[in-house]
Amino acid sequence: MVIKAIKKLFGLGQEEPQLSAEEVGSLRDAFKARYHSFKMLLAANNKALELMSEMERALLGDRPYGMAFIRAHCTGIGVNVFQMVRSMGELAPERYQALPQRFKDIQGRINQELARRESEQDLPLVVSLESVDKDFIDVVGSKMANLGEVRNRVGLATPEGFALTSKAQRLFFQHNQLREEINRRIQATDLGRVEKLFDLSAGLQQLIVQSQLPPELTGELRAAYAHLEKRTRPGVTVSVRSSALGEDAAGTSFAGQYRSQLNVASSNLEEAYKDVVASLYSPQAMSYRWGRGLPDEDVVMCVGFLAMVDAAVGGVTYTRDPLNIRDSRLFLNSAWGLPKSVVDGAAVVDVFVVERGEGLQVAERRIAHKEQKFVCYPEEGVCRLDLTGDLAGAPSLNDEQALALAEAGIRLEEYYGGAQDVEWALNQAGEIVILQCRPLQQQEKEAAAERPVLPSGASPLITGGVAASPGVAAGKVYWVNKDRDALAFPDGAVLACQQPFPRLAALLSRAAAVVAGQGGMAGHMANVAREFGVPALFGLGRAVESLRQDDEVTVDAEGLSIYAGRVEELLAAGSHRKNLMLDSPVAKVMERVIEHVAPLTLIDPDAAEFKAESVQTLHDITRFCHEKSVHEMFSFGKKHHFPERSSKQLYYKVPMQWWIINLDDGYHEEVESKYVHLENIACRAMLALWDGMAAIPWEGPPAMHGRGLASVLFQATTNPNLVPGVKTSYANLNYFMISRNFMSLHSRFGFHFSTVEALVGDRPPENYISFTFKGGAADFKRRLARVHFIADLLEENDFRLRLNEDMAAARVEGLPQAEMEAKLRLLGYLIMHTRQLDMIMSDPAAVEQYRNKMRVDIAKVLNLTGDARP
Amino acid sequence: MSEQAIKVLLVDDEADYLQTLSKRLSMRKLEVYSATSGQEALAELDKHSVDVVVLDVRMPGMDGLEAIKEIKKRFPMLEVIMLTGHADIECSIEGMGCGAFDYLLKPVAIDELLYKIQDAYKVKTLKERKIADLKAAAQERDQHA
Repeated sequence: MVIKAIKKLFGLGQEEPQLSAEEVGSLRDAFKARYHSFKMLLAANNKALELMSEMERALLGDRPYGMAFIRAHCTGIGVNVFQMVRSMGELAPERYQALPQRFKDIQGRINQELARRESEQDLPLVVSLESVDKDFIDVVGSKMANLGEVRNRVGLATPEGFALTSKAQRLFFQHNQLREEINRRIQATDLGRVEKLFDLSAGLQQLIVQSQLPPELTGELRAAYAHLEKRTRPGVTVSVRSSALGEDAAGTSFAGQYRSQLNVASSNLEEAYKDVVASLYSPQAMSYRWGRGLPDEDVVMCVGFLAMVDAAVGGVTYTRDPLNIRDSRLFLNSAWGLPKSVVDGAAVVDVFVVERGEGLQVAERRIAHKEQKFVCYPEEGVCRLDLTGDLAGAPSLNDEQALALAEAGIRLEEYYGGAQDVEWALNQAGEIVILQCRPLQQQEKEAAAERPVLPSGASPLITGGVAASPGVAAGKVYWVNKDRDALAFPDGAVLACQQPFPRLAALLSRAAAVVAGQGGMAGHMANVAREFGVPALFGLGRAVESLRQDDEVTVDAEGLSIYAGRVEELLAAGSHRKNLMLDSPVAKVMERVIEHVAPLTLIDPDAAEFKAESVQTLHDITRFCHEKSVHEMFSFGKKHHFPERSSKQLYYKVPMQWWIINLDDGYHEEVESKYVHLENIACRAMLALWDGMAAIPWEGPPAMHGRGLASVLFQATTNPNLVPGVKTSYANLNYFMISRNFMSLHSRFGFHFSTVEALVGDRPPENYISFTFKGGAADFKRRLARVHFIADLLEENDFRLRLNEDMAAARVEGLPQAEMEAKLRLLGYLIMHTRQLDMIMSDPAAVEQYRNKMRVDIAKVLNLTGDARP
Repeated sequence: MSEQAIKVLLVDDEADYLQTLSKRLSMRKLEVYSATSGQEALAELDKHSVDVVVLDVRMPGMDGLEAIKEIKKRFPMLEVIMLTGHADIECSIEGMGCGAFDYLLKPVAIDELLYKIQDAYKVKTLKERKIADLKAAAQERDQHA
């Protein structure tokens, strides 16, 4: 009964009607078309799985990715799954009708997760600073909201001004359809490459600057400016400041990545607005968001317009030590003129340290030789003046001013309940004006970790400077003197520069460490370096010039030292880099989206739930379509009485226990008889697998029954003793489906079940091998041990593994033909030689012995060349 | 693949991209035509017999989705590959629903695009043969009748 069924299944022993030449021709065409559909389905399956595993890898969070990555992957997977569903419809019309609708449902859910939740409330386009406080964060961004709070609640002096709101920017973008165009360009760019990032950034900024402001917005901007003139003076110049929204989402504070324009004349307000908005896409801002997992479209630029303060002295106060949470002193960084020299972090400035106690007192004055200052031109713009004579060396603050500033800092700190980073100016009358105030990120200094003992001879190349960001890291020195040097910045290098300009922050997500001749712990680069956990040593002076391009060095920021080569003792003690993607907004979107994509809930094809209606995820659909398509290809032949395509028994010296179905061009010559000879097989993948099976004689553990399993492969079926018993016969059925470039093998040896599917041809990106195996005769624990044993051997050989109880799936992709064939030989070897291993899995010594023997064998099998067939 | 060059029409409003792509595909022995808009593409298709169209999605005027609908209506045997920087799930599924052979995202490796064009061409020839077989069978039936 069963034998009859098998015969029927393989078209054996059937009466074959004679076909006319034309019928043969059109049947061949029909088979060809089906096979092509099947191949398209497999290619789509392969692509979808590859994209899914890229998403899963990204979720680990060790490399940055953005929304563009998620969108592109979801789109790519969706398209490939669509193709599979379509091909399924061609292979089995009207068979799995629930699939298209299930696919649509799942896509709908993914789309929902990706849809932007843009709350377009009824916001004004412009708000005056008089009516702003911290509740306005979503309206005018954190910088302007904080400044309003300082002015209206804390009661310290700030400049007069107004802000263009988040709605203003959205209106501007909608008016010019900028969002779609920006997403499109980001999508098409490989952000992993520095020079591409710079190109893209330049293009996007130009796009924004060249767009037109909607007339409505210009009208409101002009009205607000007229109001400001009334409160100050006619023709007042303004500083136009970025105040972005959405950047606080990951607990980040990030002001300086965006541009601000100082001293802008009335006639240029619109241009300045667009320029500040465009700075959303500066290389440093894009690279920062990318590194932090912040979605581009969630960052909205609000812009403040503040009456310009003509500063005599400017600077930044840290109300605590940013590098040490236990240090309660205040740090005032100060310079002549506008605070620009301090904020940019590129110039050497005065530092005043103020101690708290019974009364405040100036504990330290580090007076720098200040070579330049920035001042306002009367009409518009700022200029840099060289300082000469006494002024350069004179302290920019007297003690009274320093204490007054410290007091203002403490008021802000107490008001906000935490350390603050305050930008201020003293106007020509000597009055304090607060320009910006934001929380200061302090670092938890690790409990006085013992400094490791350095090997003798490790004396630093350079010592000194200021630890702008703590930590230890090693890498090759890469000098960035000109902007164009940045384009070729290699991943993992030590960034060396004279001045740590804010724009170099674009390189921080790639740099191992940063060293600079100028700069201190205030300034933008230092902030971002701390946030990214990149060690930074600034203010090294001319000593930094002794570092030579490409020399490997170890930077110990807190040790204020740079060593030649890698100093492993220091590196081991140094802190690890932060993982910034985890818990970022982008990672959260990814987590929600991937739930509908990657989990596999349809596992057992024999289970009752294995049907089209049950698919829950895109992975389920791929799994289902794959399984069913193989089945359809297999059973199609039997419906057509077409001798060329019926299954043939493999003949190699004698008839063998293997059956072959030719899907397309798997034979050199068409075969009409019931046997196909090995020499006639054109499928190189199958031949490679075969070579691996035959390469090394089986000397496994004692066979479980007298007939000797070893002989199964090469036994002739003509041996009547081997005609299988009723139960084992089906289990021993092994069949190949082949074409020239493709093979699919289902084999059962005893209780062991494995499949190999491979596409190997001259298109390396499309090549793949997938291997699944499960089962065994032993108890579950030993079966599991066997699966792990095989999985280890496969992983050692570059396969990617997915384990599910006692079932394992291994894949390898994208290698050139010769390498793929070597992998197939390895699989052939494993299929033959791991059959009975579960029997010995409880004996560790035996396991180890087999592992070692197999490694030796595998090396031989991989190196087989030419025609090794006996 | 075949001795006869595959004839492909590239449609993209970015002139630079179009030019580079045509050049690289021509070097790979394809016969390449190009157009910078949907309307222009339809005009090209009236002039030349083409096997595969590579179509951008976002273009001023007639966009890619409108264009594929029109192309499929007028030239049902043509295969269309959408190639775009527009990573949008709904749009991609709509394109596939209109009968696109594939929806690829820029940047795409030139060889990957070439393989897709070859595969699309193969589908086209298989379809044509199937139709020829059906016609022959119908003719035979008619003769017997």
